[in-house]
Amino acid sequence: MTTTYISRHPLEDRLPLEPGIRAVDHLEVPRGKAIATVMAMDGEEAAVAAGLAASGDVSVRFVAPGEWLAISQSDTPEVLHRNLSLLLAEAAYIFDQSDGRVVFRLSGPNVRRILAKGVGIDLHASAFEIGTSSNVLCGHISVNLARSGENEFELIVMRSFAESLFDDLRAMGREFDLSADFAAEG
Amino acid sequence: MASLIHCPHCGVRPKEEFSIRGDASLVRPDPEASDEAWHEYVHIRANPRGRYLEHWQHVAGCRRWLVVERDTFTHQVFSVTDGAAAARGTSR
Amino acid sequence: MTAHRLASGGLVDRGASLDFKFDGRAMKGFAGDTLASALLANDQLLVGRSFKYHRPRGIVTAGPSEPNALVTIGRGASSDPNTKATVAELYSGLDARSQNRFPSLKYDIGAVNGLLSPFLGAGFYYKTFMWPAAFWEKVYEPIIRKAAGLGRAVLERDSESYEKCWAHCDLLVIGAGPTGLMAALVAGRAGLRVILADEDFRPGGSLLAETMSINGVSAQALTETSLAELRSLPNVTIMPRTTIFGWYDDNVFGAVERVQKHVAMPQAKIPVERLWRIAAKRALLASGAEERPLVFGGNDKPGVMMAGAMRTYANRFGVGAGKSVAIFTNGGAGYRAAADLAAHGMEIAVIIDSRSDAADVAPDGVRVIPSASVINTKGRQRISGVVVERSGFEETIACDAIGMSGGWNPIIHLACQRGAKAVWSPELQTFLAPDVGSGLIVAGAAAGHYTLAGCLKDGTDKAAAIAADLGFSAVAEAQPVVDGEIAPSFTALWYSPGAKAKAFVDFQNDVHVKDIGLALREGFGHVEHAKRYTTNGMATDQGKLSGINATGLLAGMQGISPASVGTTTFRPFYTPVTFGALAGTSRDEHAAPVRKSPLYGWAQKNGAVFVDSGLWYRPAWFARDGEKTWRESTDREVLSVRQNVGLCDVSTLGKIEIFGPDAAEFLNRLYCNPFLKLPVGKARYGLMLREDGMVYDDGTTSRLSPEHFFMTTTTALAGGVMSHMEYCAQVHWPDLKVRFCSSTDQWAQMAIAGPKARLVMQALVEDDISDAAFPLLAAGVVTLKGGLNARLFRISFSGELAYELAVPAGAGEAVADAIMQEGRAHGICAYGLEALNVLRIEKGHVTHAEFDGRVTPDDAGFGRMVSALKPDFIGKRLSTRFGLTAADRMQMVGLKPVEPDKHIRAGAHLLREGAKPSTLNDQGYVSSACFSPTLGHDIALAFLKSGRERYGERIVVWDKLAGAEAVAEVCTPVFVDPGNAKLNA
Repeated sequence: MTTTYISRHPLEDRLPLEPGIRAVDHLEVPRGKAIATVMAMDGEEAAVAAGLAASGDVSVRFVAPGEWLAISQSDTPEVLHRNLSLLLAEAAYIFDQSDGRVVFRLSGPNVRRILAKGVGIDLHASAFEIGTSSNVLCGHISVNLARSGENEFELIVMRSFAESLFDDLRAMGREFDLSADFAAEG
Repeated sequence: MASLIHCPHCGVRPKEEFSIRGDASLVRPDPEASDEAWHEYVHIRANPRGRYLEHWQHVAGCRRWLVVERDTFTHQVFSVTDGAAAARGTSR
Repeated sequence: MTAHRLASGGLVDRGASLDFKFDGRAMKGFAGDTLASALLANDQLLVGRSFKYHRPRGIVTAGPSEPNALVTIGRGASSDPNTKATVAELYSGLDARSQNRFPSLKYDIGAVNGLLSPFLGAGFYYKTFMWPAAFWEKVYEPIIRKAAGLGRAVLERDSESYEKCWAHCDLLVIGAGPTGLMAALVAGRAGLRVILADEDFRPGGSLLAETMSINGVSAQALTETSLAELRSLPNVTIMPRTTIFGWYDDNVFGAVERVQKHVAMPQAKIPVERLWRIAAKRALLASGAEERPLVFGGNDKPGVMMAGAMRTYANRFGVGAGKSVAIFTNGGAGYRAAADLAAHGMEIAVIIDSRSDAADVAPDGVRVIPSASVINTKGRQRISGVVVERSGFEETIACDAIGMSGGWNPIIHLACQRGAKAVWSPELQTFLAPDVGSGLIVAGAAAGHYTLAGCLKDGTDKAAAIAADLGFSAVAEAQPVVDGEIAPSFTALWYSPGAKAKAFVDFQNDVHVKDIGLALREGFGHVEHAKRYTTNGMATDQGKLSGINATGLLAGMQGISPASVGTTTFRPFYTPVTFGALAGTSRDEHAAPVRKSPLYGWAQKNGAVFVDSGLWYRPAWFARDGEKTWRESTDREVLSVRQNVGLCDVSTLGKIEIFGPDAAEFLNRLYCNPFLKLPVGKARYGLMLREDGMVYDDGTTSRLSPEHFFMTTTTALAGGVMSHMEYCAQVHWPDLKVRFCSSTDQWAQMAIAGPKARLVMQALVEDDISDAAFPLLAAGVVTLKGGLNARLFRISFSGELAYELAVPAGAGEAVADAIMQEGRAHGICAYGLEALNVLRIEKGHVTHAEFDGRVTPDDAGFGRMVSALKPDFIGKRLSTRFGLTAADRMQMVGLKPVEPDKHIRAGAHLLREGAKPSTLNDQGYVSSACFSPTLGHDIALAFLKSGRERYGERIVVWDKLAGAEAVAEVCTPVFVDPGNAKLNA
């Protein structure tokens, strides 16, 4: 028996499969991102950080000293894993988390006010600059929060929590009529 | 209602992001150490009023074990350092 | 007609009439009114009955210290009891009811308590109802609770929504009066991130009721221009209707914002209240000062009010508290009120001044009686006169309202909430805030600056200093010039002597002067004891008005300074906060997150009945058509696995990827059994101990490559084991070269168990998984037909030939579907937690039902696993101590009922046959029990003293809770396939 195993996104029952009408404040769920945990070997922390910073199309999220999430929009999980392994050979352990993490992108003029309902850290641009990322608690759920623009943030959450985080974000955004859909890039 | 802990890796965070284990001055004895040493290590805890070194884990953040030096009476936090760095410093 | 709307004046919008109801009576007010000002405008003096004596009570204040005017606003599920009418913003349709009265406010049966008052003095709770003890709980307390009370808690589910929010700023300014406005302006202009919070719906504080002008501009105009400028500054946030109720560690402030408490129909998408946590680098407490009531005979009747409140009602709300007002004062503020009331055309009947040498000037034509005392008041539900005594002569002066002014108390509550004690000021005859460091600076009237000019300057100066301290440069402000300022000095008067009626100290709790004296005489003179003994300063107002007078009286009665008496302890909350706001969104589905397995959809399709398992929802069983009970489904699933094959979702197990050259050494120290020599491609059962030698957790760990291991933990302790490993790696052995991360969410993991498991799996897997190629405990990466990489483990919890297959989570459902499809011809079934539990009990496998923290490896039959050769591992040292190796420890055994139809339940205790049923005769306990469909009767795992030596013995299973006893035979805990033939098939 030969099967093609179709991959399911945990929010498939919650969101229309096609992009919908966007409000000014919008929650977008990109699908098919490749994500990997990168853990520097002992003493290689700086080298790995530098290597990751130099790798063009991979965005890097800080997790812990010597530990990051590397994200690629275009590569498959296998390609990302291979590229990172080549780039960081003998310096880091790479583990594919593409199925274990779910990405949320919040954008709009009220995103800081929406996030302040769950996130305790100061998200003022002077305190949490564009490009900054960190693990934080959002309500009851730990997420990796990154600022991708003045009014744009990305949250990465463990897959099993994705539905609950989605429900929380919808409730947090209700005041601003937050809309939500899967990202168009598919 | 709220205390803020300055995680050396993640910045200022509400205490809800942390879990507290207890006395950070304890050093795990050598397996050959005396019964008394092991009894002290596993079972005996002081409950001091005043300055205290505690292990806190930043569970919702970097998941590092931190050494938090705080006053158990005023809750004032004097310092927060990485637990591994502290462990390397005390010849364990 | 006593209280009335003035013909003109005030900041209310006389063009916007609002209809509202009080006790069902239709009334009208204006936009900008509080409920209290609107009630007064409708001459509603009587607003409540007192707590204990049910005395008629009226509005006393114009703010949050109000002790009397507590009402219930709203109907049904969204009603709010104990709302202060003095801060409730009037809106069209507001429906308020008075409290603590029966059958009506005007005719209240409970007022008979007033006649019993000689028996209801301080401490009466403790004295009267001591005997018999049972009567307290069943008779006295319910009666007292019914008679003495505030509003009723709403029992229906709250229909409104709430939320919590964080805010961050450089400077939090608490209070938007003259001090706070100036401070916010200075800091805002300097570029600080400023939050200006005020509990009122209209910022401005005392400026809103001020008649003096500042630099030639009216106080109200100054307020408006200041607010306009603040609104134009992007770095300034103004938060009206926001009470800062608590000051917490690290300068975090708790605040509650009443977002939609002032609207009849709240918008569903916005909360009615929002709880804020404000992390402020600095805070300025500009909370102002509270006018002090005077303690005199008959001072609690409707119509007796704070003089400053009368002034606020007249100047801000355009409401006269009476037609003919008597003022009783000990300082300049009484004269200020008299002047303003007179300016509005109200008659000032008399000014009674306790001082002999007052320099204050009364309005033209107003009689002043110096060195005088008020000893009683006339009238019942409204005032008709005031009885004054001077030099032994009594005089009754007609009036319909009495304004009292006893001096000022800075509102220092927040500054004292973190343990620092208030400091007595002999000059100001009041308590001032202690120095609490640079985080919280007290300014303006809250710091004892009682003049308007002083407040404006203090706010400006202190904000400039804070700005400089934070590295900003603030522009120096010109000195404000205030016209017509009256120095508000006073001479403290704790008690107006010669009272001919009860002189109340605490209106809300019905505490009068004699109660304080009684407390002192009976040994409860310490201010904290006196509070509990008399109830002075309890309940919703927490002594905002009464505290200082109680201190003064206790000092006066003992002839000591108020400094020696001190204050009661200030604690959050400054004013009551609703449970709704404190809960925020944490209710229903937002109370705790739900974790869903990647196979959740697969389980749903197969008829799963889910059960909460920590945060997870896990399938308990899979009901098929015609199955009426969980047992029917479970029995079928068990038999199906034993005879054919079943599929179970085990994705919730904790999964950890461990890397590094020291990974094997790390595991070797973590587990009590050896791991150094685990070959690549093999899985091993591992047992983790706690440092005290008891079992902590178990699971399997596989070596995928020389420096890469894959660990599974139990579902329950996945988080705990991860933290434990992090602690070991970071704190115990920071020099080990090991790195690990959770992969729990990356993998969909399923157990495929049963004699036909290989048949099904081989059809799906490219690689050879015959017993020769993939024997028991084999582990490694395989390729599913179609090209998907997966991990396969030959491990078994059920005792059957079994595999665990891990695939990337997204593909989990499709893979499970494919297995079910492939397995259909072989009779495959989905099985849930219940069947999993039965299967493992039948095989004698343990879970945390057995590992309850008191069990050693040897107790559970794993004694030989514990390595004697390893130099160290967690738990090694204490696992050999005396007591953990004793021969009579309880050991795990199996139990089967002697009569097969008897039941055994987990939790039951074990007794020797013939022994008296008592825990004194305890031989052990049942940890797990179930009906075994394979054997056709109940079976159990139990811990029994020296159990392994007692196979074949009969033992009584005593279940006191269920009232059941059964005789069981002690046996090996492995009920099925003890030779492991099925496992190794």
